[in-house]
Amino acid sequence: MNKIYEDLSSRFTLSDYHQQRDNLAFVTVEKAQLVSAITYMRDYLKFTHLVLMTSVDWLEQGKFQLTYLLHNYELHVNFGLKVMLDRDNAVMDTIHHLWGHARVYQRELHEMFGIDFPGSPGVNEPMILESWQGPPPMRRDFDTKKYSEETFDHRPRQHVEPEDYLRQNLYPED
Amino acid sequence: MNLKDVLSPLYVWKRAFEKPYTIKTLKEPRPGADRYRGFHQNDLDKCIGCGSCAEICQNVSIDMIPVSETKEGDSGLRPKIDYGRCCWCALCVDICPSGSLTMSNAYTWVEEGLDKDVRETFCFTPGVDKKPWDNEEKGYRRLEGYELSILERVKMEELAPAERVNSFIEMVKGFSKEQAKKEADRCIECGICTATCPGHMDIPGYIRAIREDDIEAGIKILYATNPLPGVCGRICTRRCEEVCSLSLRGEAVSIRWLKRYLTDSVEAEKYRDLLHDEVVPSGKKVAIIGAGPGGLSAAYYLLRMGHSVEIFEQNEAAGGMLRYGIPEYRLPYGSLDKDIDFIISLGAKVHLNTKVGRDVNFDDIYKDFDAIFAGIGLSESFKIGVEGEDLPNVTSGLNILKLVTLGQDPQLGDDVVVIGGGNVAMDAARTARHLGAKAKVLYRRRLEDMPADPVEVREAIEEDVEFITQGIPLKIEQAPDGKLDLIWGKAEMVDDGSGKRPSPVLIEGSREVMRVSKVIAAIGQGAEYGWLEGETTKQVKLGKWKIEADRWGRTDDQKIYIGGDMFNKTADAISAIADGHRSARSIDSYLAGEEYPKDRF
Repeated sequence: MNKIYEDLSSRFTLSDYHQQRDNLAFVTVEKAQLVSAITYMRDYLKFTHLVLMTSVDWLEQGKFQLTYLLHNYELHVNFGLKVMLDRDNAVMDTIHHLWGHARVYQRELHEMFGIDFPGSPGVNEPMILESWQGPPPMRRDFDTKKYSEETFDHRPRQHVEPEDYLRQNLYPED
Repeated sequence: MNLKDVLSPLYVWKRAFEKPYTIKTLKEPRPGADRYRGFHQNDLDKCIGCGSCAEICQNVSIDMIPVSETKEGDSGLRPKIDYGRCCWCALCVDICPSGSLTMSNAYTWVEEGLDKDVRETFCFTPGVDKKPWDNEEKGYRRLEGYELSILERVKMEELAPAERVNSFIEMVKGFSKEQAKKEADRCIECGICTATCPGHMDIPGYIRAIREDDIEAGIKILYATNPLPGVCGRICTRRCEEVCSLSLRGEAVSIRWLKRYLTDSVEAEKYRDLLHDEVVPSGKKVAIIGAGPGGLSAAYYLLRMGHSVEIFEQNEAAGGMLRYGIPEYRLPYGSLDKDIDFIISLGAKVHLNTKVGRDVNFDDIYKDFDAIFAGIGLSESFKIGVEGEDLPNVTSGLNILKLVTLGQDPQLGDDVVVIGGGNVAMDAARTARHLGAKAKVLYRRRLEDMPADPVEVREAIEEDVEFITQGIPLKIEQAPDGKLDLIWGKAEMVDDGSGKRPSPVLIEGSREVMRVSKVIAAIGQGAEYGWLEGETTKQVKLGKWKIEADRWGRTDDQKIYIGGDMFNKTADAISAIADGHRSARSIDSYLAGEEYPKDRF
């Protein structure tokens, strides 16, 4: 793992290296260097498999964290590359030319977090949220309850508060 | 084209004659796993309709709907569940204080006719609407030891028995802020308790105030229904705690001690600012006879409504039974005075040492005032009804307690026996122990039949009070050494089959002798009606046991109200306070010329 890290750090600007297990480590890469770094890992370090792409909403810091998890079949190790994006300008270069299935992840990230990947095929099409009207639902400032109250019809409740009901039946005049 | 391609359609046809793998989900559903979270079950007898399930449900899928009769400790509501919203998280099962709500492992339900009202589609009230899974044994139950509620109380520190019998120092130490907040955190705010509290205090409200550390808001909530909260925070009979939903599987919230914490957290001088209220004088005058909890409560609310109030009290200080009937170690005089002084400071004029019927005429009061509230309590101790009762060293529990309050020596000697099993009997016996005498309690029935607060019985036992149960006093004789011989007989409990509690019957020929220095009778008290003499009280009707009055305490004479122990059945401080509050509202309406009390306060 350390070897991989050293190799990478001699070529790219890295930070926050963290080895979680013997076969799993993460490092943060500059946004502009991500595609180069990931291409280098695929073509020279034999991380041929893109396991997944995902995102974390760091609302308080105003950032989205994108994570690309790669796998090396010879060494059987996973390596995660992280990129921090500004929440206000959540745009990232696409990597669908490296792995075709990345476009599915990118389409999903666009739908759920509102992160755009210009040039990724079909990135603007909804995956599951057909005719969605609200903001991307996985953003932490998305208010699920408010959205559901505004968007959907509601069954009228029949609920009676026990405390009120007791008063009404046992001591209505007090 | 190879051979396999030619033959494969035949392989497929071979399958047509085999048993299909199709699972007939609806006709023969596969059973859910043993702990599957399926459709709900509710044990209606155990459920108290507290609504905690509806409260915790994150999907608003539970409505409480009227099902059975409403009574104290059971709202009569039961949860109705909407499976269009339910996400099967089982929080409702986990929180259920009574443990009545569970989940079966059933997960299939075919609903016919979807043209039904949307509120009825895939909704049902477990236990009420019969379903095939009602008696299913398998399904989700709360795991043993897994609790969302905190079932154990924060322990209240108190003086050890050996320490407390040497003095009259208050034995219960009270909560610190941390302890109180921790205890307040246990309340699940179901509100079942408020109906049972005679004063209908907003218990969840003031507990919330403690949790949020808003003492001022808490005090305001207390005074909205109870102007003697410092007293009730110490000696309340706390029937609220008996119905607390947490008590079903654990310990009730220490409601009484939390109330005490609130009042102890605010100094007496601050009450005035805190509870400041603009009062418009009405120009009406109300007389209050008896400065016990009922009279003081009526006085407080009447003053707040703008009426002027004069209180007539026969003793040398206000408080009634709170002062003269409750020992100092349970209710220190300082705490009592804090509450009383605040009420009086609002402008009540108090005539101490003034007994109506002796020092002042009822007729004069009737003429001088616009309305009268009488709460004179039960001051006459019942006689035991045995020979020798009039001997010098035979007295009543109330008398002993009063002498101790007055700072006089009750001359107990070294060995007393208290006859009775109520709170006065406990107080008298324990007072004797605190004064250094040995104390026995002689009670006709069994320990578990005692009307006294079980906590007081326990504390009396801790203080080495000896309990002799199923003993009936027969005779009191003067012993040669100047002491008394109490002759008593053993009784057996006889159930006459009428469904009433078994009654004690003297065992033929049983005769025991107990030599004591003092015999203290504490078998109950009655009211005294000497004060009612006069021209103007003719309309007031005396029933068999008490003066007749409506629920507002109004007698047949519209001007005269009664309340407190002489009126209500429960004869405790909070009931008297509730009576005073109720009567005050009715008096207010009466003085304004209205027929029924409106909610002015």
